[in-house]
Formats: sequence, structure tokens, C-alpha cells
Amino acid sequence: MQNLPGGKSRLLLAISVAAALLVGALLYGQYGRAQASIKIGVLHSLSGTMASSETPLVDAVRLAVEEINQSGGANSRHVEMIVADCRSDAGYCAQQAEKLIAQDGVQALFGCWTSSCRNAVKTVVEKHRHLLFYPLQYEGLEQSHDIVYTGAAPNQQIIPMALWALRHKGKRFYLIGSDYVFPRTANLIAKDVLLAQGGQLLGERYVPLGENGLATAVREIAALSPDFVLNTLNGDSNLHFFRALREAGIIAEKTPVFSTSITEVGLAAMGADLAAGHYAAWNYFQSVDGDENRAFVARFRQRFGRERVLDNPMAASYTGVKMWADAVRSQGSTDLVLLKTVLAQQTLLAPQGIVAVDYETRHLWQKVFIGKARTDGQFEIVWQSAQPVRPAPFPIYRSRAEWLDILQELAGAKQ
Amino acid sequence: MSWRAKDISLAWRFMIWFVVVALLPLASFGYLSLRQNEEALRGETLGRMSRLADKKTLQIKTYLDERSQNVQLLARSRLADESMAELSRAYARHRAGSAEYRRAAKLFDKDFAAYIGEGGDTQFYDVFLITPQGEIILTHKHEADFATNLVDGPYRDTQLAQVFRESLMTMDSRISDFEHYAPSNSPAAFVSAPIIREGKLLGVVAMQLDTQHIYRVAMDSSGLGATGETPLGKLTGAGEAVFVAPLRRDPQAALQRRIDLNTTAVPMRHALAGERGSGVEIDYSGRQVVAAWRYLPELRWGMVVKMDADEAFAPIRRQRENLLKILLALTMLGGFAAFYFGRQMVMRLRNFAQSADEIAGGSLNKRVDEYGRDELGALARAFNRMAKNLQVLYRTLEDRVEERTRELNTANEQLQKEMHERERIDGLIRQENNFRKEMVDSLPGIFYMLDSSGQFLMWNRNLESVLHCGAEEIVHSHALDFFEGGDIGLVRAKIHEAFEIGDACTEAVLRAKNGAKIPYYFSGRRIERNGEQVLVGLGIDITERKRAEDALRVAAATFETHEAILITDANANIIRVNRAFTEITGYLPEEVLGKNPSILSSGRQDKAFYAAMWQQLLNSGTWTGEIWDRRKSGQIYPKWLTITAIRGEQGPTTGYVAIFSDITARKQAEEEIRNLAFYDALTKLPNRRLLLDRFHLALSVSARSRNYGAVLFLDMDKFKTLNDTMGHDYGDLMLIEVARRIQPCVREVDTVARLGGDEFVVLIEEVGMNAEEVSQKVAPIAEKIRAALALPYLLREHEYHSSPSIGVCLYYGNKEPVEVLLKRADLAMYQAKDAGRNAVRFFDPAMQHAVETHAALEADLRRALPNRELQLYYQIQVDNEHRPLGAEALARWKHPLRGMVSPVQFIPVAEESSLILDIGNWVLDTACRQLALWGKREETRGLELAVNVSAQQFRRHDFVETIAAAIRAHEVNPASLKLELTESVVLSDVADVVAKMHALKVLGVKLSLDDFGTGYSSLSYLKQLPLDQIKIDQSFVRDIATDPNDAIMVRTIIDLAQNFRLNVIAEGVETASQLGFLKQNGCMAYQGYLFGKPVAIEEFEMLLGKLQGIEPGKSS
Repeated sequence: MQNLPGGKSRLLLAISVAAALLVGALLYGQYGRAQASIKIGVLHSLSGTMASSETPLVDAVRLAVEEINQSGGANSRHVEMIVADCRSDAGYCAQQAEKLIAQDGVQALFGCWTSSCRNAVKTVVEKHRHLLFYPLQYEGLEQSHDIVYTGAAPNQQIIPMALWALRHKGKRFYLIGSDYVFPRTANLIAKDVLLAQGGQLLGERYVPLGENGLATAVREIAALSPDFVLNTLNGDSNLHFFRALREAGIIAEKTPVFSTSITEVGLAAMGADLAAGHYAAWNYFQSVDGDENRAFVARFRQRFGRERVLDNPMAASYTGVKMWADAVRSQGSTDLVLLKTVLAQQTLLAPQGIVAVDYETRHLWQKVFIGKARTDGQFEIVWQSAQPVRPAPFPIYRSRAEWLDILQELAGAKQ
Repeated sequence: MSWRAKDISLAWRFMIWFVVVALLPLASFGYLSLRQNEEALRGETLGRMSRLADKKTLQIKTYLDERSQNVQLLARSRLADESMAELSRAYARHRAGSAEYRRAAKLFDKDFAAYIGEGGDTQFYDVFLITPQGEIILTHKHEADFATNLVDGPYRDTQLAQVFRESLMTMDSRISDFEHYAPSNSPAAFVSAPIIREGKLLGVVAMQLDTQHIYRVAMDSSGLGATGETPLGKLTGAGEAVFVAPLRRDPQAALQRRIDLNTTAVPMRHALAGERGSGVEIDYSGRQVVAAWRYLPELRWGMVVKMDADEAFAPIRRQRENLLKILLALTMLGGFAAFYFGRQMVMRLRNFAQSADEIAGGSLNKRVDEYGRDELGALARAFNRMAKNLQVLYRTLEDRVEERTRELNTANEQLQKEMHERERIDGLIRQENNFRKEMVDSLPGIFYMLDSSGQFLMWNRNLESVLHCGAEEIVHSHALDFFEGGDIGLVRAKIHEAFEIGDACTEAVLRAKNGAKIPYYFSGRRIERNGEQVLVGLGIDITERKRAEDALRVAAATFETHEAILITDANANIIRVNRAFTEITGYLPEEVLGKNPSILSSGRQDKAFYAAMWQQLLNSGTWTGEIWDRRKSGQIYPKWLTITAIRGEQGPTTGYVAIFSDITARKQAEEEIRNLAFYDALTKLPNRRLLLDRFHLALSVSARSRNYGAVLFLDMDKFKTLNDTMGHDYGDLMLIEVARRIQPCVREVDTVARLGGDEFVVLIEEVGMNAEEVSQKVAPIAEKIRAALALPYLLREHEYHSSPSIGVCLYYGNKEPVEVLLKRADLAMYQAKDAGRNAVRFFDPAMQHAVETHAALEADLRRALPNRELQLYYQIQVDNEHRPLGAEALARWKHPLRGMVSPVQFIPVAEESSLILDIGNWVLDTACRQLALWGKREETRGLELAVNVSAQQFRRHDFVETIAAAIRAHEVNPASLKLELTESVVLSDVADVVAKMHALKVLGVKLSLDDFGTGYSSLSYLKQLPLDQIKIDQSFVRDIATDPNDAIMVRTIIDLAQNFRLNVIAEGVETASQLGFLKQNGCMAYQGYLFGKPVAIEEFEMLLGKLQGIEPGKSS
């Protein structure tokens, strides 16, 4: 009986400890459980001939992912990027895509540069009904429920560029390109629109990808002296082409070259003064005016170095990741089917201005810029569309069936 | 004195503890759950706003898209071509005002008017043709803009000029923003598209849109409650925007009212920054709103869909108030309960204290109640033991005192015995007197003796005590003094009577001196006493008897209640029943009296039940329970029965009383309550709870059976309008009708459920193993439901029109949770609404695509014949010498947009509908016309034309007549027409097929069996058919040179044909080696690419011409 007060206080202590534990457990169950991270896959070539082009895109994706995680992740989950090296080989890239989807369980893929890589990965993505963000401008004539195309469709790059050249430089034009499906299709479209408005084709030449013997073409250009040249060369050939032009004494003031694949990063690599005075068209230039872009450039340089430059494919990669994260946040889940329905109507204030996914085609509405290369490796914007341009992967003046026939013929011709 | 816990009563302490320990957690729990509900409501409302925003953006997108498609179609039409060519010529030569121009323009006027649309179908305001140089050479409305130049003219800064320039720059269709357009003096937008012919740009066509449709989308506030609205805005400068459509609160806002984005209008600021999201923010009018914001890239507009937070969150406010009320009530109730229990315990303790007190005061036999096994019970037992011990101790003491007293008494008695003897004699005398008095006193009741005047002479003690009078008073009283009212006369008469006759008796009420009135029975007799007549009598108290009589009367009245009462004797024979018994059972008393109550039993309860009942009756004397009995009418009904055994005072049972009431109504009410939990009260359909239950089950079944199922989510369009305009009664009637209409559209096993409001869900289980096939099966079911629900509703003689929107989602296995599947179907339903309501949409884009492609193809195919899109192609058939024998006629479809559509695609679609009949007739007709033409020329006269006949066509009862009519109409030689039947045709109804084929033979038509060998026709059957020719299928011919099996097959077919004396033709001959093999084995006719593709008639006739120059054998 004497120890009753002691027993009573011990009992009280035990009860309060038990209550505290219970409350703690409940709170832990509610908020404290560690959430698994959301994985995304990045498919770019870090080795082989495409490495120099594609490596910067991984940085752009990384910047976007880091920003997403700093602002609380997606649905309070950490976003983790798994980078796969495609080794500049489309088939290998498709295998990597399969692995990322099937083994690593990624929720989305970001990547590819060439059309052949996209086509190979497309098969895998569509088989799994998965999700791919493709950041490059391309020849169009394609659309897929499972791909969001953040680069330009033909009517957002090649068509306005060709027609601007026609209005401002003259009617006589010359086409040069690498020998694969993008340049051939792009030039076909360019011919369509130029000839329709009174253009005059002087010559057309294709060289194998990576070829450096461009002397014949340059001699032809020197002889024909066109009002402008439309250049769809890709990769290293550009360096050889501009060098040969310089050597042949062809100057930008007299025979300007309009390129589809020359970016700020490319200029830095081959020496800015070689292409100075020539033109390129994109949906983004580092020199685009606007608070959003200035902040983007500053953030990127702070993260990856003051000397780094940005270009359209990088901005498009960055935009893709941001758009994905916005969709995941607004849907509140990573259910792919639901996510895709949200993505089909997604909009975003991106570095290049407001972009919006087109409900029909899953390409982006975006502005078009034509820039003139300066000696400092940046572009001076000489024309821009008044508004974002609706993407038309299948230009409207032919039916879709006709385009697909033509595409098949082009593929056949190449074989 | 300090105020300590121990000073407070236990009951109060219980109450305080209860409040602290029980109610604090309850309050925190309530708070948490309220918070969660608030989160959920917020999420749900935001989700609703988002869905509505998506729906509205899609509506605008779709509208603009369709307009853009219209303009593109116009740009590609011949009308654009021709008018551009004609008018630019006329315009350039004669200018706009000239008669030449007007004449040229008039030609196209009607066609352009058709594009603009008329009446309620007006899609456009105006149309423009613009040359590449910017001259507007045609408008429909002829406003001020006509014949101006868009490059340097007065309207070069308008949206029209802008889309013109952009269409040239992008060679693409463009849509402008809505802005004030001076020539029309109203807001307008423009859609343009370039006109390109043979690679040349001819100009640009543009069309003008007005704001009607967009305003309609903006003003549609369905689903937005009382305060919701949809502002649309566009940027006019940094930090400033303007509304572009009317507001619900301000119909004049369009292009007038400005929005300051810096201070308020947070949702619009987000929208115009290109963001897509939702949240609770401050809107342009400073209110807090629940909003979703969207950016419309087509128009560079921001859209906000919102409703006031006050309205949206009203349910939570109510919930909070309710929670507070409940907490308060619980606190009071719980407090009282605790106080009450505490008090009960305290009462016992007090009782103990009191008893202890009494024992201390001397009442040693005081005990306390010992019930309960708890501590108080133990205390009570201990207390009682203590009291008992005390008592025993006390008694021992008393016994000893008594013993001493007895010893003293014995001595005393000895002394007194002598005194007693002396007194005995006196005693005897006194005893005698006393004896008499005792005798009188010991008489029961009262005894009296009256003299003839009614004065009391003698009485017993009872009289005194009854009357409450002393002897003194009675001596001075008269007998009649103790009665009142009528009794006085009565008693006087009776006394008189007794004196007269000798005796009398009566009942009368005696009034005692203290006022008590007691009924008595009096009897009196006249006797002689001391020579005097006196009356002696007795009075007996009859209070008890009177009371018994009253009780009997009450019992008789009680017997007739609304509950049935049945009384039996000890042997359970019915001895009495009341009226209610007759009402409930239908039996009249005379029908049941003397019988056993078992005549009422329904047989629903078994023997064991009755045995248990009797057992309890015998043990406890009473039984209560529910029992099913049968009425006289045979109807079985439940009743609530109480049986009580009547026991005599000595114990043996003298009978039983059964009381029961009919509880049918109560039972029904219980049933109703059970249904409510799982079924919707209004429509009697399963409710959400039951649906989820069944859905879970369906998913596990699907996982096991590997079958797909589908879930349909539907709601009624404009239902809210009906509710708002006609009242909820009508809405309810409609819902009942909807439920009634859905059910016949699905199988018995499928679940039709109502989720609430006008939302219904149909669960179709176990449809099939293949997703594509399943969606093709589900689509017609959904369509059937849609059609059934779109019929007019007759609601109390008002006709009302509505239609459903249906979303469909397939499920497979149990991987995806029910909630996700329902959400998907819901989403699909919203897509159906977006598609203009009254529609069915699949969630899975691939499924939707498959269903749509199928439907689109069918719709296009329906138009193909009238639009002359079908063509007949001819593939040549040759003989062994490569001479042309004729051709097979094959239908080809050239779709204006799709291009050539393969027969493999469109023939199955045609066969599913009845279109194949029209197509078949057209083929037959065209072929006969061609045969007639050939018949007129010498070199083509001998050619045969083979026409394919589909199963549907052949099965028509008038098939033979159709063929005969065609032959007659075109005057064709019947022998040149060859009908190709497939095995599927001839394998159906044997008798009918053989009869029809013979009839055709009689006409003179030739019959060929197509793709022979691929089906399962038996030889004996084949023998019965009057065939002319067998066709070897191309699948055998293809591998003839490489696959020995196919080679044997072909050889067998040729042998067979020769045995039956049939002609044989091989199709799909593509190489010389195939031809060689066939020829070697005796084949006689051929068809295939080696000789010619199917081609149009012109080309075919060229081929015929060429073949005539070829010598036999040279071409291979």
C-alpha cells in the first residue's frame, strides 16, 4: 500500500509514453514514409560520331531534373535520371530503350537525335505504349500517340526559312544536303514551296553523311552563283562545306547559305567566323530576348560553366523535361495513359516563349526565328513569326496518304 | 480548507476523467478527419475545374480546327481553282466594278454561299479570295475591304492581312486572333489557306469567323454552380489584359473591360504566362475563387474556369458546424453517463455506511445486499459476515441471562400456587361471563342486537372498530345513524321487515364515524329476549367481493384490444379469442373454439422450433418470439407472439394466453432498410457501394478467365437544365425512365448502377479475349444504350428531349484499381461531351481510333456510290494460247482523301452492313453495261465477264430475278456473264443454293466456284452443284513451284475438275514457271499479273488490242 503513489505515477508515465509512440507511428505512417524516386531514361550518344552533338543535351536534361528536385520533386518524389549511351547506333539505342523500360522501369524517355534513332526507338516505345520526348527538328511526316516532339516540324523551320530567303535574297536557289531521309524530305518540301512561289532550282546535290569531299558541289555553286543556298548537311560535313566555300572565295554577302543544322554549339565547334554572315532558322536562339531566356542562360552557365553556349536542341530537351514534370504534377500520378491525356493539352512558359502541345499532332506550337550568324558565335535575329506557329508534320498541300507514299519512295530511293 | 481532489464526489471525478480521457482524442480525431475531408473536397473541386477547363479548351480547339479544315478543303476544291483563275482574269482586265467581273463573280456566288452555310448552319461570316500580290478579288458580303490590297491598302494592318502574309510565309493554314475588324464593324477572326495547283501558288483563300461560338463556350456555366464563370482574356501590354468574351457577371466585358494583372486576377496572370494549372486564388474582382487556368495557343488567349471558394467550400463549413454540435452532445451525454455510473457506486457505498451505522445502533440483524462479484460485492459479503458474528456473540450472552431468570421463576411459582387456588373459584365465574362476551366478540363480521326502535342493545368489538366508535357513543346511537342516502330507507324497511316476518337481509354501505364507507351484507333475525322482541344480526364486509366484480368488468373490456388474444385450457384447446384475432387471422370465433392453435401454423417452423417453445413455456411460464403463421386465406404472415401460462394459486397450469400482432408491415420496413444500403432508392438499381463490390469481383474473374470486360460511364446531357426548369420531380421521373431503358440493352448478368445524380455506370463482364474484338462488340451495346436514351421522354405528359454521353473503358485482369478504371471511363465520357454530346467515346485512343476508323470508313463508303467514287477494274483471263477469254470485274474505290482504298479494307465493312447489296448491284449493272458494249463490236463479242457474288447478295430471295432483270435491261448474252461464288456462299442452305443455281443455269448464266480448296466443301456436295468452272485459289498457285504440298493440291483440283467435266482456271499467276506447271498439269485458263493487273476499262481495252498482236507462247 505504501508504494501506491509511486506505482500510480509510473503507470501514468507508461500511458503517456505509449500515447506518444502511437501518435508518432500514426504521423510517420501519414507523412514520413520514404517515397521511391521516379525514374526517367535519357537516351543520347555519349560516344561515336554523334557524341559531340548529343552530350550537351544530357546537360540540359540534367539542369531540368535538378531544378525539378529543388522545387520539391514530382508529386513529392525525387526524380532520378538514368543516362544510357546510345553509341551513335540506332539499333543499340533501341535495345537501351527496351532495357530502360522493361528493367529499370522508367516513367518516360528523353532522347534521340537522328531520324533513324527515333524510328528505332519509336518501335520500342509504341510496343510498350510508353512515352518519348524527342527534342530535334526533323522532316515531319510522322506522328505518334507515344511521342511528344519538342523540335520543329517542317512548317516551323524549313518552310519559313526558304520563303524568307526567296523574298529577301532572290529566286535562284541551290540545294545541298547529306544523303539520308531528313535532308531529302526537307529539300523536297523546300522545293515544293519555293517553286510554288516562283523560285528557280539551279542544282541539287547530296553527299553521304560524314563525307568531306564537297569540292564538286562548291565548284558548282561558284559556277552557278545562286541567289542563296539551302543547306541541309548534317554533322562534320558542315565544317568541310563552309571551309570549301571560304577557299573558293564565296562570301556570305553575295551567296548566303541557309542551314537547318547549324547551331550556336556547332558554330563554337567549327569556329564562328567561318559561317559568319550566313543564316539559320530555329525555334530558339541563345540571343532570344526575354526574362525567361536570360534566366535560363544564367542558370545553365552557373551550373555548367561560363563558357558554355546553348542552342535549340538543348532548350527543347529542357522544355520536354519541364513539360513532363508539370504534367505529372497536375495529374498527380504517373499512370502513363492518364499522363498522355494531360500532356496532349500541356502548355509551358519556356525559354523560347510560351509553347503548347498540339492536341492533334503532339508537336509543339512555337515561334520561328531566322538568325544571321555573328562572328561571336551568336545569331542576330532577322525575322521572327508574330505568334507561335501551329505544327504541321504533314504540310497541308498534300494529303497524308500522298506524303506517306513519297516518304516510302524516298526510303526506297536511298536503298 | 484547501480544495483537493479527494474532497470532490466520486461521481464528479468520474465525469471529469471521462471528458479528459475519452473526449480529447475524439475531438482531435474529428479535427483530423475534417481536415482530410477539406483536402478531398478541395482536390475534387480543383479536379472538376480542371476537367471543365480541358473540356472548354478542347471545344474551342475543335471549333477552330474544324474551321481550318473547312478552309483547307475549300483551298483544295475545284471551286477555288476555277474561281481564282476566272476572277483574277476578270479582275485584272476589267477591275471590280465592271459588268464582266460581276458576271464572272455571279457564276460562283452560289457555291461560296454554300461554304459559308445558311440559316442556323452558318459557319462563317465571309469568304475572301486573295491573289499572291494581296488583291482581294472576291468577297461574299462586299464590304469595304473588297478590291483593296492587303500589302499596301487601307487594311494592311488587319488580322486578315496578317493571316494572308503568314499563309504565304508558311504555305500553311493560319488562324488569327479575334479583333475589331473595321469593314464589318465587329470582332472577327480569319482563317486562311494557300491555293496551290500543280505546284504553283494561285493565291490565298480566307474566311471570316464571328464570335458566336466562342462566346457560347465562354458563357456555358454548366457544372460551375451559382458563382462560376469562364473569363477569356488576352494580353494588351505588360501587366495588362482585356477580356475577349462576355462574363457571366458582366455581359458587356468583351473587348471592353481591362484586367490589371499586377494586383489581382492571379489565375488569368498564370494562364496568360502559358501555364496550365489550378488552385485557390484571388480573381479579377478580388474574390477568392477555386480556379483552373489554361493557355489557348491558337488564339494566344488565357482561359480561367472558376467558382467562388465560398460556394465550393460550403459543405465543409456545414460539416464543421455539425462536428461541433456532435462533440458538444457527446460531451454532455458522456458526462452524464459517467456521473450516473459513479453515483450508482456511491449509493451502494452510502448504503454500507448506513447499515454499519444501524448495526452500531443495535439492530444486529441488519444486512446489506451481496450481489455482484466486484469489489463492492466482496465488501458487502465481508460486512455481512461481520454482522452475523456480532449477532451470534450477542445471542450467547442473552441465553445465559435467560437461564438465570428461569431458575428464579421456578422458586416464585411455588409460592404463588396457593394464591392461585384461592382465586380459581372467582375466576370460574368471571370466566363464564367472559366466555359469553368472547363468543360474541369472536363472531366474524359485526354483531348487533337492536330493540324495536332500532337502538343498540348489544354488539361485539368488531362493530366498535368498524364504526370507529366507543361503546358510549354506540349506546346513544340509532342503527340508521350509520347509513346515508338511499341506504337509510332501505335499512329501515329491512329492520321493519325483520320484526314483521322474522328475518331479513340486505346489502348496504356502512358509514363509519371517521368517514370510511364499507359495503356490508347484513342479516337479521327476530328473537325474544326477556319477553321483549329484539333483533339480532350479523354484518359481513363484502369489499373484496365488490372489488372482484369490478376487476372482472375491467378484464372483459381489456380483452378487446387491437392485439389478437387467444386463450386455451391446459390441454391447449382454444376456449376464447377476441375480435382482433378474427381481424388478423380471418377465423371467426366459432371456427376455432375447441380446436388446437396448430391450425394457424404455416409449416415454416420445424418440430424442433415448437419443441423448444414448449420447453421454455413449461420452464418459465412464458414465451416470446417471432413466428410465421397462415391466415384463413392461406396467406403466410409474420407475427410477434407472446404466450403466458395461466397458473392456479396452487401451481398447476390451468390454461394459456397467447397475444400476438401482425408484423408484416414492420418486416417490409426492415427489408426496405436493407435494400437502401445496396440499392438506389429512386431507381432500384445497385448503388455505388454494390457497384464497387461487383466491379472488384469482376476484375478477379477477368484475371482468372483472361477475358476483357468493359465499364461504361454515362450521364444525361442537359439533365441539370431539366432539374432547374421543371423541378426535381421531373428529374427523378427521368432518372427512373433512364434506368428502365438501360436495362434491356444489356445482358441479365451485367450490372447497371446509379452512382448518384444523373451518373450511371454499366459493367459489362466477360466479353472476349481480344481487346480490338471486344471494343467492336462493346461499341454497338454502348450505341444501343445511347440510342435508347436519346429517344424523347414523356414525363407526366411533357415531352422532353435529352441524350446521354457515354465513356467506355475496357478492363483486363485486376492489375488496375477500380478507381482508375472508373476515372478513365469518366474521362472518356467527358471526351464524348466534348465531341458534342450524345456520343460514345472509348478511353483508349487506339480502341477509339479502331471504332472510329471503322465507322468513318462505313460512312464514307455509304457516300462512295452516289459520289461515283467506285470504279470497276478488269483483270484479263486468258486461255492456253494466251488468247483473251474475258475478264474478272473487280470493284475499286478511289477515296478523294484517302486515295485508293484496298478492297481487303472496304469489302468486309460493306459486308457487315447492307452496303454490299448496293455495291453488288452496282457491279452487276456496270458489268452488264460493259458486256453490252462489247457485244456490239466484233472483236470483243466473245468475251466473258466474271462478277463476284457475296453471300448476302446470293441469299436474297430475289437474287435470280435481279440477275435476269440486269440481263434483260442491258440485252446481254447470258452466256457471257459469269457469276463467281465463294465456298462460303454455297456452303449455307443446301436446298436453296442448289435451287437458285439451277435457276441461274436456266437463265444461261455461267457459274464459277471461287477460291476452291480453301474451304471445306465435300465432294459429294460439289457434285450436286451445276457449276461450269472451278477457280484455283491464288494461295495455292503462289507456291506451286516451291511447295510440293501446294503442287499436289493443284494437281488434285485439276483432276477433280476434269472428272466432273468442269472448266478450271488458275488465278494469281505471276511467273512463267507457275504457268508452266499449270499448263503441264492440264489447266486451261489463267488470270494474274503475268497477263495483266486489274485496270480501268480504257487501259483494259488497250491491253486487248495489244494481245491480239502477240503470237501464242511468245509472252512466257
